[in-house]
Amino acid sequence: MKKRNRLENIGAAALAACLTAGLLAGCGASGGGSGDGAETDGGKVFYYGDTTFNAENDESDVNPHNGYSGWACIRYGIGETLFKYSDTMELEPWLATGYENVDETTWVVTLRDGVSFTSGRAMDAEAVKECLEHLTETHERAKGDLKIADITAEGQTVTIRTTEPVPALMNYLSDPYGCIIDMEAGITDDGNVSGTGPYRATLVETDKGLTLVKNEDYWGGEPKLDTIYVQTISDGDTMTMAMQSGELDAAYGLPYASLPLFEGEPYTISSVETSRSFFGQINYETEALQDADVRAAIAGAIDKESFVSVLMDGNGSAAVGPFPSNFAFGDSTVTAQPYDPEASKALLAKAGWTDTDGDGYVDKDGEKLVIRWLTYPSRQELPLLAESAQASLKEIGVDVQVNCTANHLDYIESGDWDIYASAFVTAPTGDPEYFFTTHCLDTSSKNRGGYHSDELEALEAQMSVAFDEEERAALATQMSQVILDDNAFLFASHLRMSIVSGEGVTGLTAHPCDYYEITAELDKN
Amino acid sequence: MGRKKLIFLGALVAVLLAAAAFAEYLTPYDPYAQDLANALQPPCAAHPLGTDRYGRDMLSRVIMGGQTTIYSSLLLVVLITVAGSAVGIVCGYFGGKLDAVLMRISDVFLAFPGMVFAIAVASVMQGGVMNAVAALACISWPRYARIARSQVLTVKSMPYIHAARLSGSGTAKILCRHVAPNIAGPVIVTAVLDIGTMMMEIAGLSFLGLGAAPPTAEWGSMMSNGRSMLQTSPWVILAPGAAIFLTVMIFNLFGDTVRDALDPRQRKRRMEDGPVA
Repeated sequence: MKKRNRLENIGAAALAACLTAGLLAGCGASGGGSGDGAETDGGKVFYYGDTTFNAENDESDVNPHNGYSGWACIRYGIGETLFKYSDTMELEPWLATGYENVDETTWVVTLRDGVSFTSGRAMDAEAVKECLEHLTETHERAKGDLKIADITAEGQTVTIRTTEPVPALMNYLSDPYGCIIDMEAGITDDGNVSGTGPYRATLVETDKGLTLVKNEDYWGGEPKLDTIYVQTISDGDTMTMAMQSGELDAAYGLPYASLPLFEGEPYTISSVETSRSFFGQINYETEALQDADVRAAIAGAIDKESFVSVLMDGNGSAAVGPFPSNFAFGDSTVTAQPYDPEASKALLAKAGWTDTDGDGYVDKDGEKLVIRWLTYPSRQELPLLAESAQASLKEIGVDVQVNCTANHLDYIESGDWDIYASAFVTAPTGDPEYFFTTHCLDTSSKNRGGYHSDELEALEAQMSVAFDEEERAALATQMSQVILDDNAFLFASHLRMSIVSGEGVTGLTAHPCDYYEITAELDKN
Repeated sequence: MGRKKLIFLGALVAVLLAAAAFAEYLTPYDPYAQDLANALQPPCAAHPLGTDRYGRDMLSRVIMGGQTTIYSSLLLVVLITVAGSAVGIVCGYFGGKLDAVLMRISDVFLAFPGMVFAIAVASVMQGGVMNAVAALACISWPRYARIARSQVLTVKSMPYIHAARLSGSGTAKILCRHVAPNIAGPVIVTAVLDIGTMMMEIAGLSFLGLGAAPPTAEWGSMMSNGRSMLQTSPWVILAPGAAIFLTVMIFNLFGDTVRDALDPRQRKRRMEDGPVA
């Protein structure tokens, strides 16, 4: 009996030792990181971590004509658009050298000479025409934005006619879906394409990552790296540890809470304010929220400054309206309900909501004021916003019930919500009209709360035919002010985007549009 | 020795249960009051366990979380013990087709990997502590049914059952008065030993976001919320983690001691193995 026990013990210990050794060996092998030597047999190799290259973000491959995959195409230096954005979100030449707006519906674009696709084909007007025609045939969002009637190609000159005036046409063409790809080479089954960028993908694995190799014939100078491995790491904490262990050379999408770990040598953090905004939409189907005073009371009770400085660790700015202040039509041009809980209480009382039963929550005609706050967890700070709003609204006697779920779209459909908080890039192309057409009009697909304003519709009618940039900015300011005066949307914050680079990495800079990352300048020494 | 240990651990369990029951009166601060100006304070005199990212006092939240975690695991254990034993007694006593059908159903539940099945059930039912309890109850009852059934099969042929039947007792009376009390020992031992496991499983589901919903204080969800701050503000995750560790350990040791006290066979075997150096 004793002997058998001892034997069993020895056996168990040996087995445990084997398993542990196996685990450790496994970790070592899968690490496979860059270590200290950037140069290997395959030349310079770079490991890049990203949270968003996956099907959940509608970025399942690098084909710009598929959902939001254009973001991957442009971020990883595979594709390029006709124009690109400067740091102040103004258009600059890229694959095109210039354009002329002949009349309201006709645009002539001149293409750059000497650019070729990684397939070897020269990028000429015919190639651009084929690409844009395929885009408008297959991509619903692009089709609605661009409203292209026909395209004619001649040498390096493309003439585009639209069915109705599209003042922001060149901006829309600079959206990631506008990456110019070679349609003769086509789109492979795994969603790979032939672009004009500094790198080409040799392996595309949805939810896992990409392998990129240098485009030897890149028109903008020789790319400095030979191979880049883009790795999808959706969990922020895992990515933090991968970055700390040196497994990654650079990372996009680290949780704000992890950024303090990368302050100081050998890391560098490149940060920029973007137009990605957190905001709540009001459901106008909810009777209590149809009262302007109640909406104003709620808007005035949310402490945006503390939310940004504490819960977002200062990685952003408290929002006033839809656009950050670096835009000509941004936050400095509009005003919103100021944070003032006492004034909010007074507004609620004015609307007839007071705490008659002493339970800490206001009521009217025997009913409590309950707000169902719908949000989702994939943007890490949205649940924090919900919990902080829950506590601040409790101060003024509003009972907030948070529903934070990945199925948020089902709840939107069922109407089972009062305020829906989400994250959205409000001006991805630098033009303001996009936010209003997607969220605020009678025809908007994301006008989930059934908001309607005659004044806003009239202003949009002017915006849709305004070609002058200053006029568009002035209209955007007025439109933002209308939705703010109505408190139809509660803008909480604009987010700062950060990319962390490891030792010896240069040329990786965060851009306000959030979709230029890997360029020919990226290097590692 | 054994008796002293039982009393000592029993006292610890009693303290835990009392602390959880009177959590409202024991918390130094309101566990739900946010104070963003004092967010992520390390442990200090005012906040012995620090504060979380909303500036809520961790000690208050750990005490309040104990109420949620401990009482939901107790509820769960009571549920599965009663339901599982009832099925087991019926199956064991009556046998036949009913037994075959119920036991095959329990086999089906036992064939699934428990936690995976609980995750699936909990995600279908949406969040909430009560839903997590229901999900775990769904998968945990068959073990009790099996134990109760095997015990009933032994007890059924005992002379005192025959005597009861001969004296004209009804089936219900026999089951309640004669069968149930005589199989209670092993069932209770299993139940007490299970409390710790169930606590871990409820905390596990909450950690995955399938249990307690925010802002409810619950140890598993508190750990999950603090996960990203493990390196920068470790107290946020260590406080609830230590609470789970200590509580589960106390309940498990208590369970062991209860088993030793109630199960003479175990005690005997221990004595045989005891002198091994």
